[in-house]
Amino acid sequence: MSQLKSEVLQGTLDLMVLQTLDAMGRQHGYGIARRIEQLSEDVLKLNEGTVYASLLRLIQNGWITSDWGISENNRKAKFYSITRSGRKQLASETAKWQRISGVVGRVLELAREG
Amino acid sequence: MFAFLRTVLSRIGGLFGRARFDIEADDEVRTHLSLLTERFVRTGMSPEDARYAALRQFGGITPLKEELRERHMWPQLETTWQDVRYALRHLRKSPGFAVAAVLTLALGIGANSTVFTIINTAFLRPLPVEKPEQLVFLNQGGNANLSYPDYVDFRDRNDVVSGLIAYRFSPISLSMSSGNNSRAWTYEATGNYFDVLGVKPFLGRWFGPQDDDKPGAHPVAVLSYRTWRQRFAADSNVIGRSIRINGLGYTVVGVAPQGFIGTERIISPDLWVPMSMEAQIEPGRYWLNDRGISDVWVLGRLKPAVSRAQAESSLNRIAAQLAHDYAHDEGMHIQLSPPGLVGRNLREPVLAFTTVLMGVAGLVLLLSCLNLAGLLLARASDRRREMALRLALGARRIRLVRQLLTESLLLALAGGTASVLLALWISRACATLNLPFDVPANTTLAIDLRVLLFTFAAALFAVVLFGIAPALQTIRVDLVPALKNEQSTRRLRHWHLRDGIVALQIALSFVLLVSSVLVLRSLRHALDLNLGFQPDGAVSVSFDLGLQGYTPARGRAFQETVLQKAAALPGAQAVGISSNVPLRLGTNDNNVSAVGKPIPPESRLSSAIIYDISTGYLAAAGTRLLAGRDIDWRDRAGAPLAAVVNRTFARTLFPGENAIGQRFRFGSDPKAEQVEIVGMVEDGKYESLGEDPELAVFEPLAQHYNAWTTLVMRTSLPAAEATDGLRRVIAEMASSLPLFNTGSLRDQLAYPLFPARVAAVILGAFGFIAVVLAATGVFALVAYDVSRRAREIGIRVALGASAGQVLNTVLGRIGMLVLVGGTAGAMISLVAGRRLSAVLYGVSPTDPETYTIVLVLMAAISIFSCWHPARRALHIDPSRSLREE
Repeated sequence: MSQLKSEVLQGTLDLMVLQTLDAMGRQHGYGIARRIEQLSEDVLKLNEGTVYASLLRLIQNGWITSDWGISENNRKAKFYSITRSGRKQLASETAKWQRISGVVGRVLELAREG
Repeated sequence: MFAFLRTVLSRIGGLFGRARFDIEADDEVRTHLSLLTERFVRTGMSPEDARYAALRQFGGITPLKEELRERHMWPQLETTWQDVRYALRHLRKSPGFAVAAVLTLALGIGANSTVFTIINTAFLRPLPVEKPEQLVFLNQGGNANLSYPDYVDFRDRNDVVSGLIAYRFSPISLSMSSGNNSRAWTYEATGNYFDVLGVKPFLGRWFGPQDDDKPGAHPVAVLSYRTWRQRFAADSNVIGRSIRINGLGYTVVGVAPQGFIGTERIISPDLWVPMSMEAQIEPGRYWLNDRGISDVWVLGRLKPAVSRAQAESSLNRIAAQLAHDYAHDEGMHIQLSPPGLVGRNLREPVLAFTTVLMGVAGLVLLLSCLNLAGLLLARASDRRREMALRLALGARRIRLVRQLLTESLLLALAGGTASVLLALWISRACATLNLPFDVPANTTLAIDLRVLLFTFAAALFAVVLFGIAPALQTIRVDLVPALKNEQSTRRLRHWHLRDGIVALQIALSFVLLVSSVLVLRSLRHALDLNLGFQPDGAVSVSFDLGLQGYTPARGRAFQETVLQKAAALPGAQAVGISSNVPLRLGTNDNNVSAVGKPIPPESRLSSAIIYDISTGYLAAAGTRLLAGRDIDWRDRAGAPLAAVVNRTFARTLFPGENAIGQRFRFGSDPKAEQVEIVGMVEDGKYESLGEDPELAVFEPLAQHYNAWTTLVMRTSLPAAEATDGLRRVIAEMASSLPLFNTGSLRDQLAYPLFPARVAAVILGAFGFIAVVLAATGVFALVAYDVSRRAREIGIRVALGASAGQVLNTVLGRIGMLVLVGGTAGAMISLVAGRRLSAVLYGVSPTDPETYTIVLVLMAAISIFSCWHPARRALHIDPSRSLREE
């Protein structure tokens, strides 16, 4: 399970990006990619470009906003931050995710025991 | 709502921001790659390898950018397009609703656009001159006129205006070098007129101060653009040509640009001549040196940084000085007003009139909004099932709201477009309107950007405000009952928002109907009013001998001959000449006092309207002689002054006495010549139909020569034939004499009836709209109610309800609403009707007959609107309606 299928990823990637922005505050795309890489302990090998597709989706939903700034190596970079409705979305998605993963986990547990 | 607007805006922005978006995305990707490369370099890779590793880890750049770009623009636009298409499909599926909604909007907003167009034309549109906001009109007390010498003093002594102009509107007799005389109107304007207004001539030059320095010295004229086109066939060699005004040759020096009609919005002069030509333009009147004759309009351009209040107080210091120096200027007080509508003279009545109009139009708009809200509400309930289904399938509520609002916006767009078309049509009709004045009037209504903005703002306001409540109601459905197509029985017994809307509609329609009926009844009343003369069976022609250069002696001879020849015409029963006919513009009046009684102070003197008449005029006009004798051969020039007066005159000056044989004088000077009263006639209407009884004096024309006269003939022939006879008689004697105000006296009542006619047309139209809207409102409510309760009615019928009971179910509610709405409407009308009293003749604003008529009308409309749905309710087949659900 070293490479997750991209369609599975898309929904969860949005959630992870939201979570990252919530936890780390204002961040640019590169930073978000690093954080996800670090947290998933290299289990999730993602094309880092897809982070940008996710960011655009989130912006269009009004869950994050962006502004221009300067990166660590003095380059022009777009910084993203989470909005209030983004936090709300994150909370409800997290709850839903936990419910589903709990159910899925129990079902798989039962299947193994059975 | 704002979120929705923002999305729409960002979508539209997305269409245009494509290039910028690409550059930004490039920047972002480049930064990312460089950071990633540096990271790999730090782990010990060569820069070359690090760069490749970074690119690998990032993934395909081109497909990513493609995806981003598409996501940036198309998906959002696509949903909008989807919304629009879906909305169109839905509106097409219910054409009745769509047509009703668009018509409702078009009527309601079209009425408002038209009224706004009038306001825009009368007040908002800047005058066609340079910096019109700096111009101020000088009013003197309640009067728009100043005397020319006073104007000169104000012009030369003040330090608050950069230029002060005077102008006067006068009739002339105009002829080209070849061709007949025709009547035209000119502005006599001071030499600085064009300079102060700051307009450039279209052809040639303006006349300037050098053309206005000596009385009668500079016969030059500037043509209006319209005159140049219509009377000179747009001849580009017109400059330097000679024209004749009142028989005197003038040189054309210039042509005004298109659209420049001077500074009075409703007057469109044919030409301009220098004011120094006054004696030639108005033969027999010399006022350039007479402080006692106030007849020029004065307009000034404020200096920059001078406020209107400063200018007013500064000008009033000069006025105080003038009042001190000259008896004629006693009590002079200057008030400044915006230019455009003859100072405050016309501005204030027009403002009052348009305010009432706007109020009524606002009511109509409110009414149509309510109608729209009712329609949308009914539709919203019909769509509960659809909305519930879409929600159940996972549509987000915001998406549904957006969908409904898209529908509303489409309706607003269609309604707004229809109203603009309606307003355009109405203003076209106005432009071709024949006004009952012998004056070139400007009736062009301007539909400009301001009107368009107003219209679409009103449409948007109406639809968004009244579309949002139904939209919100729709998405707040309970899924389960809605999907099962169960009617929500929860609130069936209670009063709905919809019921309130219908009651309010009925109340507003009631108010509008009361206003229209009142005005229409008063118009009928005015037509039957005793005018003090018999307008039927008489014709008249007016002509001005002074403009043709007749001396008084020749003029008298002409008038006598015309009278003899006209009396010999077939069908002629009585013929007479008068200086003016009652109820026409340009009445003359003067103070009068009785001889042999104490003279009241100046301010308490009675004023009488003066007519100079020939023998036979009273008979020709059909004015009844109550006592004494008519003017006759005894009252010739040189004989003792005599006059016929009306009853009010006799009662006012000689209360309780026989007035015949009594004497009076004009003014209050005891030494003034005395006039003997030889006859008394019935009272009449002289200046307007609404006036209170006024004093009138009829003097012998032989003793008071008038060059401008009207010949009246009572005839047994049809008006057109009789008028032609008069024309022929006059043409035989003076072929080039221009005639005006020709035709039957009845037709010429158009002028005094004009305000009432306009009010009747407008209020009639509004009343009609009100009836249509109220009827559709009631119809929609009842029809909807019946269809919603088909099941309930079916059960009742199945359980044995009689037809009467079913009707009671359906109509009980609407009857209640009509009662409540009607009562409220009557109460509002009783309060608001007082505003109308200014245009009502002989009808009280609380006229009980009017209220009865409207009550009956409303009841009829309600019954009519309920008829069809009620029949449907009676024919509900229980077995079918129960199975259907």
